Amino acid sequence: MNGLVYRNLKMYFNDRSGIFFSLMGAMISFILYLAFLSQNMISSWGKVPDARLLLDPWLIGGTMTITAITTTLSSLSLMVKDRESKVLADLSLTDISYIGIQCSYLITSVIIGVVMQLIMYFIMGTYFLIVDNSTFDLSLFPQILGIAILSSFMWTIFNLLILSFVRKVDTLGKISTIIGTASGFFAGVYMPIGVLPTTMQRIMKYTPAPYNTAMYRNILMNSQLHKSFKDLPASVLTEFKKIMGISIQLHGTLTFQQDMLIIIGFAVVISICVLLISSISRRLVISRV
Amino acid sequence: MKLLQATSLTKKFQNKIAVNSINLTINKGDFVALLGPNGAGKSTTINMLTGVIQPTDGRIDFDGRTSNNCEYKNKIGVVFQNSVLDDNLSVKDNIMARARMYNKPTQIQPLINKFGLESIWKQKYGSLSGGQKRRVDIARALINSPELLFLDEPSTGLDIQTRTAIWNVLDELRHNMGLTVILTTHYLEETQNADYVYIIDQGKIIAEDTVDQLQKKYTKNILTLYYQNGEPKNITVSDKNQAIQILSKNSQVISDFAYRPGTMNDVFMNLTGKEIR
Ligand SMILES: Nc1ncnc2c1ncn2[C@@H]1O[C@H](COP(=O)(O)OP(=O)(O)OP(=O)(O)O)[C@@H](O)[C@H]1O
Ligand SMILES: [Mg+2]
Repeated sequence: MNGLVYRNLKMYFNDRSGIFFSLMGAMISFILYLAFLSQNMISSWGKVPDARLLLDPWLIGGTMTITAITTTLSSLSLMVKDRESKVLADLSLTDISYIGIQCSYLITSVIIGVVMQLIMYFIMGTYFLIVDNSTFDLSLFPQILGIAILSSFMWTIFNLLILSFVRKVDTLGKISTIIGTASGFFAGVYMPIGVLPTTMQRIMKYTPAPYNTAMYRNILMNSQLHKSFKDLPASVLTEFKKIMGISIQLHGTLTFQQDMLIIIGFAVVISICVLLISSISRRLVISRV
Repeated sequence: MKLLQATSLTKKFQNKIAVNSINLTINKGDFVALLGPNGAGKSTTINMLTGVIQPTDGRIDFDGRTSNNCEYKNKIGVVFQNSVLDDNLSVKDNIMARARMYNKPTQIQPLINKFGLESIWKQKYGSLSGGQKRRVDIARALINSPELLFLDEPSTGLDIQTRTAIWNVLDELRHNMGLTVILTTHYLEETQNADYVYIIDQGKIIAEDTVDQLQKKYTKNILTLYYQNGEPKNITVSDKNQAIQILSKNSQVISDFAYRPGTMNDVFMNLTGKEIR
């Protein structure tokens, strides 16, 4: 199995344009933010001191979620490509079992998701450190790493579910475009969740994306929130957190731990779906090779 | 000694029968050719024998094992008709990654030497020429030192030198390690060296035997007479005596003649009524 994970990792990291496109969603959110989103939001939160220093980590949090979604999808698409190009037939001649082959794709995808999230974190953190003089707090790293692993795992499973239905490489391109674009909305980056219509908000809450972003934002923004809001009434802070998607409203306000439990819950439910589907489609997949 | 036996092997796709109840017996150490035109069902047969697809019907027996057995997979090597290695990776990465997918220790250096991979070892697989790719494909198939090697049209699109080079290596492996080789082809020349030939058309075996026997059974010798004035003429003759007779009768009117035994091409023509290429 090591051999296959190694090969899959090489396939991803050797493909420069593939990496570029898998980061497209993240880059769009970053550029939109620099171009006008930050200006808009700073002016609407004018009463909060140092709004810019609050919004920089806010953006990083959302972009990390987008990165987790799109890079794991890009890595997992190798599975569909291998199936179509009969590479799977060749792999099945080796000593790796069918389950082993599937697991290799999952492990690769989780690794790539974590690595790319961390890379994005360092790039954005460094950028804002230089340009806005934001703090780049390395003591947060263990928690960031933890969330990166959880979200990478979560989105690998999620994308696996979606790809179970994809048989053609052709369809794959379309799906990545859709997911790449949608991820920015669902992660609450293109627009803060609180300014969207209620129906839209409700739909978003049926996906793991906003909880994932909320977890990141809780960690990344924590110290600056304390600083910026220390002289303002608590209700302003609550309002800010609600509108900006730092704490999600679901029968009350969710805590960091609850966000995490919801994501784990999603992962469990989706895993069960994937297992059910794969036991049905396994014969199909094998016989089509 | 019998190595592999397939009994009434059949594959249906939707409502189309690609392989129709064929029987094969492969002896250890033999070089066996499956010859047939495009769409005959050669690849489908190979895919069933290698366990890549499941037969609709029929049995495969390899030393008492069936094709979805793990040990079975360990004893075979397959060169697919279309390449299955990664264009984006170097030859080295391709081969070494595959080698790590086997549990038993593998010997790569001898393969590098045999197939002359040294000079292209660091090159991207996608940038290789057709012949170089084929050499890498075959090296990949031999990583697990198989007893039985399947090659699906290994030499399509290769020039004579490359083909010969590949054949020399395979012959060497056959003699030194007793490797058994099953190959599909539509190059008739390639079957000339085979120990046994199956001719497949439209999913059925229409003839099988050694090359000599096939030529004896399905062809006559061909005598070509070149007249002093006009067209050459082909006459099929059963033996040399008949040829000498014809020649002496025509000795005054011909400028030259040619005499050749029937080839696999004639066998194929006579069996199917069509040229293979
Ligand atoms: N997956 C499939 N679904 C439907 N039909 C198929 C499938 N695979 C092969 N066939 C059909 O089965 C027949 C035999 O195909 P096969 O690939 O075995 O031919 P072949 O002898 O290898 O030909 P070639 O020399 O062109 O490689 C063809 O008519 C082909 O269209
Ligand atoms: Mg074929």
